[in-house]
Amino acid sequence: AVRDYLSPVLKESKFKEHGRITPEEFVAAGDFLAYKFPVWSWEKGDASKARDYLPTDKQYLVTRGVPCLRRATALAYTDADEDAERLLSIGDLSSTGNEADEWVETHAGRASDIDSGANPGVIDDIPDVDDHTGEGALASAMGNVSLSGANGDGVGEIPDMDEIPDMEEEDLEADDDEATAAPRVTPTSRIIDSSEVEVAKGNLLQVRTYDVMISYDKYYQTPRIWLIGYDEASINLAFNRTPLTPPQIFQDVSADHAFKTVTIEAFPHSTSLQAASVHPCKHASVMKKVIERMNAGVIEEQQAQRKAFASGPASPKDKQKKWLFRRASGNGKEDKTPTTPGEEEMEGMRVDFYLVVFLKFIASIVPTIEVDSTTAF
Amino acid sequence: MPIVQFAPFSSLVQPAFWHALTDLKIDVLRLSDEAIPVSGSYSSGRSVKDRETGTEIALGCNLSVGGEAFQTAVQAPSHSVPVTGVFKNFNTIEEFKAADKTALFNSIADEIWNSIVVDRSTALLTRFLLITFADLKKYKYYYWFAFPAFVAKPAWEIDGEWKPAGEEFDDDTLSTIQSHVQTSPTPFFLIRPSQKCGVPEIASLEQYDEFFANVSPEQRTIAFLDPSALSTNPGWPLRNLLAFLRTVHPAYTYRVLCWRDAELPVSGAWKSRFGVVHQGTGELAKDAETTKPAAVGWEKNVQGKLGPRMADLAPMMDPTRLANQAV
Repeated sequence: AVRDYLSPVLKESKFKEHGRITPEEFVAAGDFLAYKFPVWSWEKGDASKARDYLPTDKQYLVTRGVPCLRRATALAYTDADEDAERLLSIGDLSSTGNEADEWVETHAGRASDIDSGANPGVIDDIPDVDDHTGEGALASAMGNVSLSGANGDGVGEIPDMDEIPDMEEEDLEADDDEATAAPRVTPTSRIIDSSEVEVAKGNLLQVRTYDVMISYDKYYQTPRIWLIGYDEASINLAFNRTPLTPPQIFQDVSADHAFKTVTIEAFPHSTSLQAASVHPCKHASVMKKVIERMNAGVIEEQQAQRKAFASGPASPKDKQKKWLFRRASGNGKEDKTPTTPGEEEMEGMRVDFYLVVFLKFIASIVPTIEVDSTTAF
Repeated sequence: MPIVQFAPFSSLVQPAFWHALTDLKIDVLRLSDEAIPVSGSYSSGRSVKDRETGTEIALGCNLSVGGEAFQTAVQAPSHSVPVTGVFKNFNTIEEFKAADKTALFNSIADEIWNSIVVDRSTALLTRFLLITFADLKKYKYYYWFAFPAFVAKPAWEIDGEWKPAGEEFDDDTLSTIQSHVQTSPTPFFLIRPSQKCGVPEIASLEQYDEFFANVSPEQRTIAFLDPSALSTNPGWPLRNLLAFLRTVHPAYTYRVLCWRDAELPVSGAWKSRFGVVHQGTGELAKDAETTKPAAVGWEKNVQGKLGPRMADLAPMMDPTRLANQAV
């Protein structure tokens, strides 16, 4: 936190050069995300933790109740799965129909080959970073956090029921209220309740939900993602809804990242809250690569459009020489001045898309949490 | 005629709430176990498509409380409507067990009933009760929610079944409702076709009499923001809404729209449901409008029994455990 405190606020935008963004650009991209996908909204957070380089009412972005149907640990990726890759186009977003904009989605339409009912993706132990004897297997230690602890099987672990005071009061109200929907609904219904998914599918499908937050990391000058998980339906078909423990959250992180880049840390906009977070030290370089690729596609498309435009009826706009990139000192806000479509698109990928792209990148780290609402809905 | 079965609320407590409770208990409440106001919220029911099987999975009918629950004048999260409740924290587990839960529950049910018959207002139709015992040293929180709802005798029945809203209303109508709900979410509202042509008109439930004055019963629609996503079960708030309608605006049938579309549908398939409900044979007992009906609504625990739940936040709050993890 000291490092965060001491590091200067990034003033100059160079998001295309190095993938980092300024707080102003973070706000611009956040506004765009919240506008385009209303599940996202800005939050104030704890007033004592407010960052002065961000507007007080736009400290971080949050979306609640993001579904997570399976455990990432059940998605072991093998060569045979290559067929399952599918190109996703986000063309309508960037208003280019270009192939370069397409995105590879893995595991498309692939049924889990692991009977997750029998093998609920138990992470026996957690690898020590220095200990490579486990050969990539998720084994070893991460402190004494362990799933196979006192609670037996790790999944759907319910807080020790013995500790809940024995105060069932069946006489509190008539149990057979005819107008209260039972946890199960008629089998004819096409929409099934999350509490009975296991029954309906025959294999375990453990629905969880996540609250996902995006904050701005001043030191790394990138967005940073935070996760708080809840049990939605557990294996005994009852609602549990208790917050997930760290080991349970790690089940939803892809094996390449669990215990390496994803850790439990104090959420910066709260005085006490702890959340799982993807460490942002590599975000900038990954984002740079992704943006470079996308930008090339966007510009190509724009040039094609421009040519078509130029060969069409003469327009005074043609004479305007547009620089392909946004000016480096732009601060996102001037982006919002309305321009004609042709003019606007010549600028390459705009910083507003930054968070949309960022979410696609995060989706690869937490493949089963549907953070990327741009394809999930 | 099938009986209408309402999907009960499920409590969803954000960890931030337990943090707020800890601070409140230590700094403000101390040993007081006075009942204090608390606020929560719910939004329209959500379902998610399982990309591997194509099944639509309904997420729970949630009422969530967060870190702002104890603040006054709290703003509900976007697309949600606020709900107020009564919160009571007990100092010991024995007091928690021995609490007179029936009295607490009935006092809230009375408040709701008075808001119907005296104030004729819908503002307090959805209320909740939350009793807790916080074991602060162990980071364990015992809690029990209740969402009081009146039992209709005879029960509400539906003509046919709940059907997709798209079969009853055209896309323009539903789009108008969608944009209305998105800009100003309200728990309950009224819809009538436009007097001229084009977009439907929307009004609050308090305007029932004048808004529906010249509208035939077949065109009066009562809508509510439905936290349930189950195709055959409307959410819990409808229960008290129907009790309100029966008392304040008696009619034989009500056309009910369960509003579930937080966003415009991508494929044109609206998730909202529509149905026409009526109570029994339509014959009303003379005193039905003035006698307070029985109420139900204690939340069941993980085993599906009436009992408290526990949230164990030690993995996320205990400094020693967090320190162990941070190596």
